Amino acid sequence: MNRAVPTTSPPAAATENIYLPKLAVLDRVSDDIPEVKTFYWHFADAAEQANFKRFRPGQFAQVSLFGIGEFPASLPPSPTEDETFFTIRQVGSCTAALHQLKPGDKFAVRGPYGNGFSMEDYCGKNLVFVAGGIGLIPLRSCIVYALKHRDKYPRIQIFYGAKTPKELMYLPNLRQWQQSAGIECYLTVDRAADSWDGNVGVVGSLFKKPGVQVPVDNTIAFVCGPPVMFRFVIKDLLAMGFREGDIVSTLERYMKCGVGKCGHCCIGVAYVCVDGPVFTYEQIKKLGEDI
Amino acid sequence: MKARVLERADVLKIVDLLHQQGYEVFAPFSGRGRDTWFDLVTDENRDRIQVHLPNPYYPPKRFVLPHIERLLKVRQSNGDIHIEPTYREPKRAIFGIRSCDLAGIWHLDRFYLGRDFRDVYYEKRRKNLFLVNVVCTDPERDIGEECFCPCADTGPAARDHFDLQLMDLGDEFMVVAGTPAGEAFFADPMFKKATEAQVEKRHAILGEVRKQFKTTTSWFPATVRYVSQGNILEKTWEEIGNRCLECGGCTYVCPACTCFTVSDRQVGPDEIERVRIWDACALSGFTRMAGGFNPRRAVHDRRNRRFFRKLAHYFIQRELTMACAGCGRCAAVCHGDVGMPSVVEMIRRATAANDKLEPV
Repeated sequence: MNRAVPTTSPPAAATENIYLPKLAVLDRVSDDIPEVKTFYWHFADAAEQANFKRFRPGQFAQVSLFGIGEFPASLPPSPTEDETFFTIRQVGSCTAALHQLKPGDKFAVRGPYGNGFSMEDYCGKNLVFVAGGIGLIPLRSCIVYALKHRDKYPRIQIFYGAKTPKELMYLPNLRQWQQSAGIECYLTVDRAADSWDGNVGVVGSLFKKPGVQVPVDNTIAFVCGPPVMFRFVIKDLLAMGFREGDIVSTLERYMKCGVGKCGHCCIGVAYVCVDGPVFTYEQIKKLGEDI
Repeated sequence: MKARVLERADVLKIVDLLHQQGYEVFAPFSGRGRDTWFDLVTDENRDRIQVHLPNPYYPPKRFVLPHIERLLKVRQSNGDIHIEPTYREPKRAIFGIRSCDLAGIWHLDRFYLGRDFRDVYYEKRRKNLFLVNVVCTDPERDIGEECFCPCADTGPAARDHFDLQLMDLGDEFMVVAGTPAGEAFFADPMFKKATEAQVEKRHAILGEVRKQFKTTTSWFPATVRYVSQGNILEKTWEEIGNRCLECGGCTYVCPACTCFTVSDRQVGPDEIERVRIWDACALSGFTRMAGGFNPRRAVHDRRNRRFFRKLAHYFIQRELTMACAGCGRCAAVCHGDVGMPSVVEMIRRATAANDKLEPV
């Protein structure tokens, strides 16, 4: 299959151990929404940190909690930012162990892995980001990257929805994006609280709001969110006239290695870890598995 | 490739030469019935090595990809973590590996050492592995009911990927060297120059042995095309899935299966080790994510997955071989009769019926 973008991760040197995680130190933890925390960290080794910082938006890393296991995690920071961090929802044993860590505690990370979004190829195109719930985590990287290189992308739109106002991710970022000139950021919630004066409804309802005009020609749409939201947003986008190849998303799968060996994330002809996790909708459709 | 001839009585001296060179040698042994196995050769059991015997169900793949292999040792004390990768590079030889299993190892080579990432654990074990292939020539003992290597184009005589290849000519063995390391053995005076007649005899036996295969066949070309083009009906996968008992046996005896899982286990008060363990896409937990979502829930999805991975054109291009060596083990161990040959047959018939064509 054609990869969404060429992989830029250099081939591992013959002697390099692809399964060896490197020691990382937790700097601080911030609460985001219920069950979700952001973990700011750095590699114990400065050279390792510099090397890791060459990651691309949309790539991921393998996080190790020794004695528990290892899990793949999206990289929400943009490579243009100083800090490295993960935003993790507590779902299984590894993420639960990570949530127990205190600043100064050590764990281990290896990566970055995967193809990532080809932000360079999208120069000159409008970017439309559509996210639901914690689907904003992998897209945050692209959004921050795109804003840093604002002149390269004519229009940038963000459509983001969560169940309740309390579950809106990265609230400080959202406020900042809403207030910035030259970027359109629309928010919605499924169930409003009293203090909420914004839109109520699914993400797709934002497309039809008065005053909202989604550019279709010369536009890349980034879609990330729960399966139901994904299906409906894709339907809306296709109805608007988006081509399947211009809709991109990032897939999640159970992974043990991150480097195309363990076989757990293989769907159809693609290993999500090396051929993805970023795929166009055109590719996702052909893979033939649930999102 | 150079060839020499060896007296029948001298064939196990190859094992002795390997021992002299510091190899630990694994060779096939047999019990009273069909039970056969690869075991470490010692002075005590050396004379019981079998050259002709049914291929052991537990494939010799484990000598390069152990069932359970430690990747890392991690010590944690006072908040400090010390990570140490642990490697093993044994100098090993497999005496009596069959052509199908050789093809399996070649497939693993392409998989673990190819593409962007090289697997250093596999590489270290593989680097020092010496392979002495035996061509299956005895229709009674070597060729089982389920063998179909001629269909997979891997046997009965491997064309490559061995260091030495032995073929039984009756009174003597023809020995072919596939690598410089193998050829170095010919310095020993027990290897004699082959006569024209012996070379002829080898050809004749090889021609004859191809006719000795039993009734198991596996019509790959048509099925590879159907799988690659996505022409297989969901109904067919369901029929195959209905017969799968989800024991994972096929993947555990397969010489070409590569999947593994990784697990951490406590080995001391402050010490854990991270190991990788063979895993099977036939098992339901294989794709289950934290939180419970499983994109591949139905058993036929998983059967589909296994055969798609083995037969799709895309992967054949990538690894240069199908992930099936034609050893017949899956056909032998499967209680539901959905080993590779049966699946190939079911797909071929169903697809041909759907196309309203006569099965070819």
